[in-house]
Amino acid sequence: MASFLKKHRYALISFVMLLPGLASFFGLFFYPMLVTVVRSFRPEGVTTAWTLRNYTDFLGQASTRQVILLTFFLAIACTLLSIVLSVPLTLLLRQKLAGHRLFRLTILVPITVPGLVGALGLLLFYGSRGWLNLLLMQGLHVVQEPVKINYTLTGLVIFYVWHYFSYTAVTTLSTLEGLDPAFEEAARVAGASPWQVLRHVVIPLIMPGILAGSVLTFMAAFGAFSIPLITGGSYRPLAVQIYKQIEVFTPARWEAASAMAVVMALLQLVFLTFYMRVLRRPTAS
Amino acid sequence: MSDWMIELVDITKRYGNIVANDHVTLRIRRGELMTLLGPSGCGKTTALRCITGQNIPDEGRVFIDGKDVTDVPTHRRELGMVFQNFALFPHMTVFENVEFPLMIRRMDKSERAKLVRDALKLVRLEGYEKHYPRQLSGGQQQRVGLARALVYRPKVLLLDEPLSNLDAKLREEMRFEIKDLQQRLGITAVYVTHDQEEALALSDRVAVMNKGCVQQVGTPAEIYDHPATKFVADFIGLSDFIPAKVVAVEPERVVLDVQGERIAAPPSESVSPGLDVLLFIRPNDVRLRAAEGDRQPNEIAGVIAKSTYLGDKFDYRVDVHGVEVRVQTHGAERFDNGQAVYVYLPHERCRIILESLVCPVR
Repeated sequence: MASFLKKHRYALISFVMLLPGLASFFGLFFYPMLVTVVRSFRPEGVTTAWTLRNYTDFLGQASTRQVILLTFFLAIACTLLSIVLSVPLTLLLRQKLAGHRLFRLTILVPITVPGLVGALGLLLFYGSRGWLNLLLMQGLHVVQEPVKINYTLTGLVIFYVWHYFSYTAVTTLSTLEGLDPAFEEAARVAGASPWQVLRHVVIPLIMPGILAGSVLTFMAAFGAFSIPLITGGSYRPLAVQIYKQIEVFTPARWEAASAMAVVMALLQLVFLTFYMRVLRRPTAS
Repeated sequence: MSDWMIELVDITKRYGNIVANDHVTLRIRRGELMTLLGPSGCGKTTALRCITGQNIPDEGRVFIDGKDVTDVPTHRRELGMVFQNFALFPHMTVFENVEFPLMIRRMDKSERAKLVRDALKLVRLEGYEKHYPRQLSGGQQQRVGLARALVYRPKVLLLDEPLSNLDAKLREEMRFEIKDLQQRLGITAVYVTHDQEEALALSDRVAVMNKGCVQQVGTPAEIYDHPATKFVADFIGLSDFIPAKVVAVEPERVVLDVQGERIAAPPSESVSPGLDVLLFIRPNDVRLRAAEGDRQPNEIAGVIAKSTYLGDKFDYRVDVHGVEVRVQTHGAERFDNGQAVYVYLPHERCRIILESLVCPVR
């Protein structure tokens, strides 16, 4: 016994030190997931039998396809726009023009502001009597009627981008600032115009950063809840639909909600795997 | 056609309060390899960046091939450049890296392939086309850098400390390779380094810089044998500086007073009797002998203060009336600490240097 202890001393110490981590992993992460998966196979209100009805009901509904499409549309549109917005923005920030520090902090605001507060703020700003419409109507006189943004699909995409683009911008910025300026100098001396340097050298080299950031944006946008709940109007992506099963129905339909959550997780997993594989190809090897 | 491939005329460049280039004028001949030599912060890189256009000088003009390019952006200057950290594009293969300048110029595909092959052959890297830079050794990477710089036959090849990131043995090898390549192609080259040995071995001419000024421009032999300032003498090789006063200026020689003794030196410009100067000589040009018999001309009496054995030579510190003179001898004769000696300063090896001279080349 003593010799066993002595021999495996370090393995034992490692195991003891890992215990808190393992315990919280199983207690806070694995166990709730397991409960959700198990519950999704139970008939409503029953805890002993098994069934597939929660899945067949959900996937059989005509509206389900639309909800899934909407969820993907919002997440993908938000991700693409975040990339389009982040690249020029970070290129500008990298120049360290006057005021760039303030701007760097401003990028982080959407992450730090709670979704509910942000959503209400956006509704106020873009409302028919909000600052934007006041500026357009009374400041610039470009429109007579207020532009309708709130509760439209366009509006929802704008709000998504506002709330989730920071992930893409921050990782892109840090990759860009880690880039050795010698690469760009070498390209310039070799005859490349600023645009050619960007296209052939800078963008390919910061692609891993853009990818990592946009994956974060995509995941957050796919699971978006408070923004569409408050500003979505009739547009209800998956997370909001799941919430409705609990909030709208009495008694709450926990089993149906669990099945929807499992479907959502699987969809996201499949899409992310695909996304990583496609986008990683040009920068690999 | 002008004799000069590159002309920097009266360039001044400031960064805030720091003057990085102070009225620098440099002219580089067609087909020559000129080194900009100096310690870090001397302004050599600033001058190079004025040639590439990465720096816009505050004052002065830059000419390449007789054309004023001061306001021409970097990518239109038709240059090739090799970098200290290689700066190969990590997402491109060796082939794509070398092809880059041709791709940018929208050259025909088959023409590109041929030129890339030629360039890789030039640097002896055939067969590495499909490798990525990180799969190559430092020396190979720098050869790819050379191929990329030379592939479209630029007017000028710029090399910014290209060998500093290589180990000592490879550095010496690559030095000859670069020189050989430059001569075979007959291309004008500007080579920036802080390594004096590299500068002497490679250059047709050297421009020594310090504190933003060009101190001296000349062939390696001129720089070594006739340094114009104390800085140049000190930076290149070992030096003795002996304080002296000019006693008489004659057509054939200048007579100096060194601690009360008379020393003759070759004629020198802008000296007059009564002037305080430095007598400069290389430690291995000084001779020693035991203090016996009469002293000859240009011999002064001294005492060995310290001796060090260096394998192929002896290094002595000799106390000459309170002034320390360093002497290196290869002879078999040994001198002991405290021994009285005669220090012979051969007339033709003595140089007079004005300490006040700081920025002679304007």
